[in-house]
Amino acid sequence: MKQIKSIFIALYLVTSGSCTVVKEYNKVAINDEDMLLSAIDCERFETNFQIYREAAAGANGGKTGGGCGCN
Amino acid sequence: MRLQQGQTVEKQEVVVDAIKSFLFGFFLLICAGLSAQTKDSLTQFKKKILESVEVDLLMSYYEQEGIHAAVSGGIGNEYLTNYAPTIVVRMPLSEDAYLTADVGISAYTSASSSNGNPFNQSGASTRGGGRGAVRGSYNSPKGSPWVASTGASGKDVLTTVNLAYQKASEDRNRYWGVNVGGSNEYDYSSFNFGTSFAQLWNEKNTEFSLKAQVFLDQWDPIIPTELHEYELFQDTFLYNQDSYFLGVSITDDQGNSVAGYLPENFTSYTTVSRNSFAVSLGLSQILSPKLQGAIFADLVFQKGLLSNPLQRVYFQDRDDFYIGNFRTIAQYTNPNNKDVFHLADDVERLPSQRLKIPLGARLNYYINEYVVLRSYARYYADDWGIYSSTFQMELPIRFNLSWKLTPIYRYYDQTAADYFGAYNSHLSSQDFYTSDYDLSAFSSHQWGISLNYRSVLSQLKLFDFGLKSAQLRAQHYSRSDGLSAYIVSTSFRFVLDQ
Repeated sequence: MKQIKSIFIALYLVTSGSCTVVKEYNKVAINDEDMLLSAIDCERFETNFQIYREAAAGANGGKTGGGCGCN
Repeated sequence: MRLQQGQTVEKQEVVVDAIKSFLFGFFLLICAGLSAQTKDSLTQFKKKILESVEVDLLMSYYEQEGIHAAVSGGIGNEYLTNYAPTIVVRMPLSEDAYLTADVGISAYTSASSSNGNPFNQSGASTRGGGRGAVRGSYNSPKGSPWVASTGASGKDVLTTVNLAYQKASEDRNRYWGVNVGGSNEYDYSSFNFGTSFAQLWNEKNTEFSLKAQVFLDQWDPIIPTELHEYELFQDTFLYNQDSYFLGVSITDDQGNSVAGYLPENFTSYTTVSRNSFAVSLGLSQILSPKLQGAIFADLVFQKGLLSNPLQRVYFQDRDDFYIGNFRTIAQYTNPNNKDVFHLADDVERLPSQRLKIPLGARLNYYINEYVVLRSYARYYADDWGIYSSTFQMELPIRFNLSWKLTPIYRYYDQTAADYFGAYNSHLSSQDFYTSDYDLSAFSSHQWGISLNYRSVLSQLKLFDFGLKSAQLRAQHYSRSDGLSAYIVSTSFRFVLDQ
């Protein structure tokens, strides 16, 4: 239950910021390659073994099932 | 003095920021000027979604050790190695579209999988985990969950091919994509296709993404040798002329040669397909000039053969039968056991449907031009009774324009599936059972480091391609049930010179 609350708090924090508009000329930091909101290319191999060794998958953390004989 | 240095650094940062803002503002002014020109000229100078052909050469080596092999019912050697070279090519098709081809192989050796037929002391095993290696021999064969067999099921190669097409709108506020692919290994094949859509608004501060993916998979089941023979010859499998077990001594736990072994819980598979349907939603938001986050929600439904046909299960309410040296039975769960193997009561049985709901979030903070904080959290639940939490943090530290070092830490935990039980703990009356420790309750820690190199001028050449970036990642993984692993991966990105 605590985890669900945490997710909703994170959801609120993300969506509540939508009134702030950062202009293009202010996106130098945002456009940095490390600010990318996804896993980096090389991480695919780690995600792959995690899909085999752990039950959970998905939510921007790799494929969510199928394509391999894993759980 | 220290205060003065601090003030000087602060002033330098302010000046650098001011110059950056000025240059960026100047750039925007130029853009504004250009926008006053005709539409044709705008189209002419529009930035391509992908400037040039890119080629990624990726590679990884993975190795693990553990003591809970699922193929031998939750006990045994889990040693496994995996080598996975991959090539990804991205080709611009127009100013607004590009194509990605992703081709890879994944070659593994597995002590656990080799024990589909644990008695295969020489030669290759065939279907059914490998029958007939010492068939008909009156010298009882030996096997152990702690010793890798030499059968063919101990190694395999997974080949994957994926193609993706991505297109952007002229104003770069809308993206569409389609993808199709497949993979194949000895006992499993998969075909997948999907589509994606993303919409940006609020001056590209907010992005909504939607992705749908379908996997149509097919098992070609390999089952443990003893169950394979039972499937073929039913009640006569202990004395049929063609049976592996003809003349093989089967003992009880006292070493008495017996003929009572009959894995009658085992039934042949009627369904060998496994289909997965996934919908993924994402919402990202820039929260400040240095902070942005995103939330993700997936809904995944799987149907079909969701268990692994090679994974044995033992029942506590059934007599135990062995092949090999009965004197070692007392040490069966100990790695010192090199010569006796417990015959399976059944393979794992799991429900034919599963609903998974992972919810995730990313939050990245640009601390300064040297350090960025990347974080990821996920909560997961499914209808098999598994709940899990994931937390990952990365801290890329930039030394100069070319070099960067990133410490990485990841924590994961999960509860056990409703159907999990340890070795020899299930009851034959249960509908579903597994002794696969990947579905048990555990926590894990993963930590490592990444070294990145970025070539500003792409001076290093390979044919007509210049090296754009390179990465070396090394990670160690330890699970609370005793499994440990490490993985080393590299990537090299080359860009076609224009």
